[in-house]
Amino acid sequence: MFWPRIFQSLHASVPELYTDELLGLNEQTRPYGVALTEQEIAMIMVARDQVLQSYGRVELGIDVTKEMVEQFASSAYVEQESYAETLMALHEIFYNLKNETEDRINDYQLIHMMKSLYEEECAGSIDLLQSRLEAYAEQCRVEAMTNDNDLEGDDAAWHLKR
Amino acid sequence: MNEYRGWIAERKVRRSRLTRHQYTIGLLQEGRHAGLLTSEETMRIQQGLMLILQELILRYTQGESTSVTTETAEDIMLSVLYATDAYLFGLGQPEQAIDCLKRMSIRDIYTQGVETVSQCFADTKQLYEDVSQTMVQVPIDAYRLTIDESLPVFLRKYGMIFHAHNTMASIDYPLAQDDMKLQGVFYMKQYLERLQLENTFCNQFDLQAILELLSHYGRMCRFDYRMELFNLFQLILNQSVFSTLCGGAPTELRISVAQYERLARRLASLSEDEIRTAITSALTIIQQELKLDHQLIPYMDGCKEELVQRVKHAAEYNSLDHVIVMERQSAASSRVISFDKADVMSSAQLRRLLDQIHSCASTEEKVKLMLQKVHSIHDYLDLLESNCLYGDEYEALFRAFGEMELAILAKVVFYEELRNESLVSFISAGSEEDRSEWQRHFVRFLRDKDQDALRSMDRCVNELDYEQLSFN
Repeated sequence: MFWPRIFQSLHASVPELYTDELLGLNEQTRPYGVALTEQEIAMIMVARDQVLQSYGRVELGIDVTKEMVEQFASSAYVEQESYAETLMALHEIFYNLKNETEDRINDYQLIHMMKSLYEEECAGSIDLLQSRLEAYAEQCRVEAMTNDNDLEGDDAAWHLKR
Repeated sequence: MNEYRGWIAERKVRRSRLTRHQYTIGLLQEGRHAGLLTSEETMRIQQGLMLILQELILRYTQGESTSVTTETAEDIMLSVLYATDAYLFGLGQPEQAIDCLKRMSIRDIYTQGVETVSQCFADTKQLYEDVSQTMVQVPIDAYRLTIDESLPVFLRKYGMIFHAHNTMASIDYPLAQDDMKLQGVFYMKQYLERLQLENTFCNQFDLQAILELLSHYGRMCRFDYRMELFNLFQLILNQSVFSTLCGGAPTELRISVAQYERLARRLASLSEDEIRTAITSALTIIQQELKLDHQLIPYMDGCKEELVQRVKHAAEYNSLDHVIVMERQSAASSRVISFDKADVMSSAQLRRLLDQIHSCASTEEKVKLMLQKVHSIHDYLDLLESNCLYGDEYEALFRAFGEMELAILAKVVFYEELRNESLVSFISAGSEEDRSEWQRHFVRFLRDKDQDALRSMDRCVNELDYEQLSFN
């Protein structure tokens, strides 16, 4: 259809702008020993677009990417050699979680939760982070289903909660 | 090069490529094709649309998320374009709209569009009030539910920012002339304008005469008119045309058997052109004698050709009695079946009875208990659907029913089938597949009856009037 093409064309039309914004963040992240090159930023943007497309999502702007850079640059487990790859993997986990939780958790809460798990329970392991968050998504779905069932079965509650 | 430029300049906007739906997109494409918009201008407009979308996504997620699913983004984008379409289409000529796209920012066009949609929504609300007040007091479910329930749901839920293009209502009642190319509130406004025209026309007729017409119409079609989807305006208009052709007054809806026979003979002798001329003359008489709104006349004329074709075909196949509604003697008058709401059991009573039936030791006991306790067709249907009987017990129950009870059960259960064929032919050819267990037993039970018994029951079925089998 027409729209996926239009949405893609938007991303394609502003890469320089995104690159400048992300390069600008290097000033903040250098004290932690990490920075992104133009090439790495281009790779991250391509990977992000692929992830968005494969998860059937649209994001106009790079607020999520910027927040991830700001949060994860300070991690003790992020190193310059694997910095760009880590960010790419984090994008995949993030958008998967947005879908799996049916957008019930907001962007910033999710990124902060990812950072906290990555730092503490997962000790910098992306695989472990992914499995922890999958468990969390499952828990969210069960809770949502329970809430839906409660609402269906209880007219009074339904009216109150609406 | 100059030649090429000249060729570009001569290109025109191809109006055939522009539709009301997605007008803005069409203008962008045609503007580029005709050389009226440059690629930079098109890009600026597209980026402007994306910025609006970006802002709306944030509003949609209440600032919680900067991404949404593709479906949501598409839906919001369609809503944005619905607003820009509304403004640009309102400008009239496509060239003027393209000029506007060049000169105005797409954001301003969008803002004006939202204003246009908002005004249309306000007009639609007012129209609904008018329609609601002029509603014809007839017990046609689709008509009443559409006006009383579906339209208010639309007015309550319509979202002109995120879902402007959605027609979020189940509008079942069919108009005589509908234009499904429109969407959202513009469709609804048009639907209400037309419904209002139809109401105005129908209100020129005596309500009692309309109710009688409906009753005869239901018998003619062998259906319960209250549950069917048909257009009241068209039924009344056609009948008024036939009445006029019979020499009666346009407001007269009753056509006797003798009048019908004379008219049928006359129509059968006419060619298609002559039928068209006769119907046109009748419509002119109706339009002159009834004080009709000037918008109603073209609307009525728009229904003419369909009527001409129906009459032509019916005359050819000798089936005008399926087009002209004549007064049919209510044979059912000798078969008045009354159902009293008080006879219907409550859920608790029904559950108790089910327990009692299950604890009965013999088939005879079960049947006796059901005959004693159940006095309503509703409860019989509930019990049969609850599978409280097994195997031969069904036959024992059906054997205990009289001819009229069996006819009522058949009329209710085989409603669709008996509209088109007799009970005799349905039972001999009807399939048992896709039927519940008790219905399969019922079909087998009827199949075992002799032809005379079935024909007699068929007469009872025909004499029964759906209006008396009320499920209210």
